[in-house]
Amino acid sequence: MLDVWVLGADMTRIGRRDDSLQDLMAEAAHGALRAAGLEAPDALVVAAMNPEEFVGDGNFASNVGAYLGLAGTPAIRVETATSSGAAAFYAGFAQVAAGLRRTVLVVGGEKMTHLDTPRVSELIGRSIDPYERSYGATMPALAALVTRVLMARHGVGPREIAQVAVKNHANALDNPYAHFQRAVTVEEVLESRMVADPLRLLHCCPISDGAAAVVLTAERAAVRVAGIGQGSDTLALRHRDDLTGFAATRAAARAAFAMAGFGPERVEVAEVHDAFAPFELISLEDLGLVPPGKAGHATLDGETARDGRLPVNPSGGLKARGHPLAATGLAQIAECVWQLTGRAGRRQVDARVALAHSIGGLATNNWVTILEVERSQALP
Amino acid sequence: MIETIAASRCPRCGAVVAPPERFCPRHPVEMAPIALPGAGEIVSFTTLHSPPAGFRSPLHIALVELEGGARFVCHGAETRGLRIGSRVAIEAVDDVYYFSHLGAMDRARLFWRRAGRAGDRAQAIVRSLTKRVWKGTQRGSS
Ligand SMILES: [Zn+2]
Repeated sequence: MLDVWVLGADMTRIGRRDDSLQDLMAEAAHGALRAAGLEAPDALVVAAMNPEEFVGDGNFASNVGAYLGLAGTPAIRVETATSSGAAAFYAGFAQVAAGLRRTVLVVGGEKMTHLDTPRVSELIGRSIDPYERSYGATMPALAALVTRVLMARHGVGPREIAQVAVKNHANALDNPYAHFQRAVTVEEVLESRMVADPLRLLHCCPISDGAAAVVLTAERAAVRVAGIGQGSDTLALRHRDDLTGFAATRAAARAAFAMAGFGPERVEVAEVHDAFAPFELISLEDLGLVPPGKAGHATLDGETARDGRLPVNPSGGLKARGHPLAATGLAQIAECVWQLTGRAGRRQVDARVALAHSIGGLATNNWVTILEVERSQALP
Repeated sequence: MIETIAASRCPRCGAVVAPPERFCPRHPVEMAPIALPGAGEIVSFTTLHSPPAGFRSPLHIALVELEGGARFVCHGAETRGLRIGSRVAIEAVDDVYYFSHLGAMDRARLFWRRAGRAGDRAQAIVRSLTKRVWKGTQRGSS
């Protein structure tokens, strides 16, 4: 297997965007190509969760390829629900690692804010098991079932969970790409509208438009892909025995760290899938970044704040940077690349190893990507 | 009346799921149909305040661990007083399953039904008491 490097990364500002999905993809893709100093890649991988219904377009790899001005470039589309961006990154990585392509452009995006919230929830909800959906289960509903179990078994209380949202909103204040540039307090979170008991509005990520892109290469560059892992689990929540963690994250982390040849102790910054604030606490433990049962305390103690032992979601995470579905896994990786190469502006942290964690569906198809900066390339 | 819930069991790993599935979620083998009593313990529950189209607000959804192992998703009329571990009965109204708190009469009926023939009753009482004490210990220590 060849070493794979990130040659360039870019993303759009995330939020309510008037641009078409294709224009958002072009903004991110052309930005990443510019950052890579490359006019055209050998191949293209496109991530979009549901362009057929969100924007009415199909045959989407060719659709995006032609729009980008890469009609002659081989293109495939990858979809694993809300982790599609991370899965597309894997597909690009695999092509380069196998020696099939020298350079691959990976671009992911979603456009949703032109639809009303019930319609968006319905479309996202199609990734849920059909029987559970027939009982009215939505993503927030299933996340709420998980959260109640977490709160009963792990000693995680409302303040620990609220602090995740407070921290991530604070981080996004310094991210010009973020959907929200607004601080929230623990009290605001705890008093926000109840969505699915015990989850409140400010525990949940927003509906966002946006795109992100990465150029992968077999030539040595600043950031190396040290490890990638995938994990999967049952589609139905009721088919799982343990709801205090996600088996799909644990399997993905095991595989990624095995490929990297080191453990979680070397990770110095992490972008974690906090579609719902308690998922950050669950994921920190699943990833081995904090010991079992300690994520709540670590968060309250500021260990995961930007100036803490392990900055988590310096971008603001899904909670505050926003969650344009198939863009998210790549936006996390773009943030990690910027953090590792000293291009994260006012939210810069000091890190040589970064981890990105993406959840597909209700943790049915999860990904862990570990990036490492070459020592000679790291900032002093 | 305690309902019977249709379920299925994997011949490979013994996993039980409800409603029945054609294949085991974890093995590519056909499952065998079985029936489970419509009673169990609350694993988790939530109330949706903006449920999807076609559902009335507030919508109570619970995850129940049935006696026999499978976890089951159902609706409820309310969640007041409900806790993780609460004993509930499941019943179908127009093919939609609802949970309700088990009253004393329901518990007794369930108990005698499970106990079966008169000769097994003493053993069943011991089993039931042992289980209850053991569970109490578990909760106390966690
Ligand atoms: Zn099985």
